Amino acid sequence: MKKFLVILILAVLGFHLFAAFSGLGFGVTRFEKGVKDFYLEKTVSELHVANTVTSIVVNFRGFDTLGEVTVLFLAVSAMGGILYKRRHHAGDRSVLFSSSSIVRSGSKLLFPAIILLGVYIFIHGHLSPGGGFQGGAIIATGFLLMLIAYENFSVSHNTLSYIESFAGIFFVVIGLLGFMNGGTFLQNFLPAGILNNLFSGGVIGIIYVMVGFKVAAELTGLIYTILHEKD
Amino acid sequence: MSTLFEIIGGALLLIGSAFLFLGGLGIFRMPDVYNRLQAGTKATTLGGMSLILGVGFLMVETSWMWMAKAVIIVIFIAFSNPISSHALARAMYKRKQYPLITSKDENMDAYKEISENEKKEEDA
Repeated sequence: MKKFLVILILAVLGFHLFAAFSGLGFGVTRFEKGVKDFYLEKTVSELHVANTVTSIVVNFRGFDTLGEVTVLFLAVSAMGGILYKRRHHAGDRSVLFSSSSIVRSGSKLLFPAIILLGVYIFIHGHLSPGGGFQGGAIIATGFLLMLIAYENFSVSHNTLSYIESFAGIFFVVIGLLGFMNGGTFLQNFLPAGILNNLFSGGVIGIIYVMVGFKVAAELTGLIYTILHEKD
Repeated sequence: MSTLFEIIGGALLLIGSAFLFLGGLGIFRMPDVYNRLQAGTKATTLGGMSLILGVGFLMVETSWMWMAKAVIIVIFIAFSNPISSHALARAMYKRKQYPLITSKDENMDAYKEISENEKKEEDA
């Protein structure tokens, strides 16, 4: 009886939800001509970028992306600051027991493949789904795997902060170069190239590589700080 | 008329989806961690592999690159999925989540003896 009631309620709910959503018309133009048409048109005709989302995130709204990267940097810095105080009091690292030899050798095999996948994703950010943030996160998971598998695997914090600072500075420098050449911050000043080629889209590819390096360094540092509270 | 490659690909897709469904059902239905791990990792390893190979076979006439990529992904799954399930099972055992045994047969927990011997050696 109860199950029958549940099914009845679900059927009524489903019917009404379907009735509500079937009238919406997905993929149909519901708004008047506006900024979206500008983006959709200029992405292919002027920038020669296959991925519209990337062109909006990095080129049309590149300044927002710079802000996002800064927010991530601030979050990681705050996390490091909080954990730094705890590091002197708390004892061991937070992995309870050492991993088995299967995990060790397996992660040694998989680590280069994961790094390669991350690099592939952020290099092809303007051609396929994904980009700097996603690729960087994947690279950080590779380092997480190695840190879990090997107790004595260590990452140099100095190298990480150098990579991160260099990537951030390069992002801003590219923006300033656009300022000099085109007139606005992060303006595209490189040749657009051919659509669907690796070297297309002007500065988008370069910026996404830099974002990928920055995010990877930040997240790796964060994971390392969390795992090695003693250090 | 469909070609041989398309028939093989379709069959692999069917097998893969059947195994993935069974894996999902097993996670829902099985009683303890180890049984669920078995359903959730062994079945999905085979299911995922045959799904991806099936896509490769379906697209092999369009471009052989699809097949090459599919084979690389299959190799990756063959490495990563068993390793992760091993790590999960080992972590569960170390957290003293022993297998659910309804019968009185103690021999079902074969790893218990090994780990107790290890502990004795460590103590000695």
